[in-house]
Amino acid sequence: MSTPDEPRDPFAPPPSDPAQPPAYGQPTPAYGQPPAYGQQPPAYGQQPAYGQQPAYGEQPPAYGQQPPAYGQQPPAYGQVPAYGQPMPTYGQQPPAYGQVPAGSQMPAYGAGPYPPPPAYGAYGAVYPKNSLAVWSLVLGIASFVFSCLLFTGIPAVILGRQAQKAAAEGLADNRTMATIGIVLGWVAIGLSALGIVIFVIAAAAGAFSSGYSSY
Amino acid sequence: MTTSSPGTTTAPVRAATGPRAVRGSLLAAGAAGAGVLLLLVRDPHVLGSYGICPLRLLTGWSCPACGALRATADLAHLDLAAAWSANPLWVALIPVVVVVWGVRLARQWRGLPTGPLPTWLAWSGLALVVVFGVLRNLPVPALAWMAP
Repeated sequence: MSTPDEPRDPFAPPPSDPAQPPAYGQPTPAYGQPPAYGQQPPAYGQQPAYGQQPAYGEQPPAYGQQPPAYGQQPPAYGQVPAYGQPMPTYGQQPPAYGQVPAGSQMPAYGAGPYPPPPAYGAYGAVYPKNSLAVWSLVLGIASFVFSCLLFTGIPAVILGRQAQKAAAEGLADNRTMATIGIVLGWVAIGLSALGIVIFVIAAAAGAFSSGYSSY
Repeated sequence: MTTSSPGTTTAPVRAATGPRAVRGSLLAAGAAGAGVLLLLVRDPHVLGSYGICPLRLLTGWSCPACGALRATADLAHLDLAAAWSANPLWVALIPVVVVVWGVRLARQWRGLPTGPLPTWLAWSGLALVVVFGVLRNLPVPALAWMAP
C-alpha cells in the first residue's frame, strides 16, 4: 500500500509531471504562440519595411552618386583626381602651376593689374621698362649673396635710378621695386666702403701675415 | 618697345646706328680688358693682393664669386683647368656673357632696340648664384670641385 502509495508518491510527481508538462505546455503554448513570433516574422517581413531597403537600394545609389562626387572633386582639386585620372589631371595640373607663377609675376609686372597707361598700350608692352627695376632689385639682393658687395651694388643703384625715371615717364609701374633696389645697392656700397676702410687700416697695421686670398 | 633707348644714354625716337650706337658696349669691353690686364700685372693668387674677403676671413665660407679673380687671371694665362677649379660657375658664364654682349653689339650697330635683359633671366640668375653658393660650401666630397 504504502509502496504503491510511496511509488505513487514518487509517481505522484509524475501525475504532477503531466501537470508540469502542461506547465511546459504553457511554455510550449508560449512557443505555440509562435503566432506571436509569426507576427515577428512579419516584423521581419516589415524589415522589408527596412525593405524600404529599397531605401538601402537608394542609398547605394547615393553612395554611387558620392563616388561620382569624389570623381568630380578630384578634377576640381586637380591633384586629388590625379588618383582617378592620373595622366590627364597631372597633365592639366602642371600647366596650372605654370600659369599661376607666370600669371602672378609676369602679368603683375606687365599689363595685368595696372592697365591704366593706355597711351603706351599701342606699342604692345604696357610697361616696357619694368625690367629695369627688377634688375635693380635682383642686383641689390645679389649684393648680399656675394661677398664683394660693391660690384653689384653700384649697378643696382644705377638701374634703380633708370627705373625710377622710367616710372616717372609712365614706362614702368614698379617704382617701389626700384626704390628697394636702390636702397639695397646703397647699403651694399656703404658696407663695401666700410670694409675697405677697415682693410686699409688693418693693412697699415700689418695685420696680414697669414690670411686668405680675396677673390 | 620700338622706342626703347639703347641702355644708358639717350632716349630718342630713332636709335643711332653704327659706331656711335655701340660706343657703350665697346667702353664696357674696354673696361673688362683693362681689368684683365690688371690681373696679369698683379696676380690675384697672392694673398691680400686685392684685399681680404671679409666673409671668408670671418666665416671661412666661399661666396659664389669666390675665385672669380683667380679664374679670370688663369684664363688670361690660358690655363682653363686652373680657372675651372677656382670658380666653375664664372668660367661657364663667361661665354654666355660674351655672346650676349656680341648680340647686343650687333643690334646696336644696326639701330635695333636693345632693352634691358628679360626679368626671368634676372631671377633665374639669382637663383643659380644662390644655389651655387650653397653647394660649394657643403662639406660633400662630390661637390668639392665647386669650391675655390
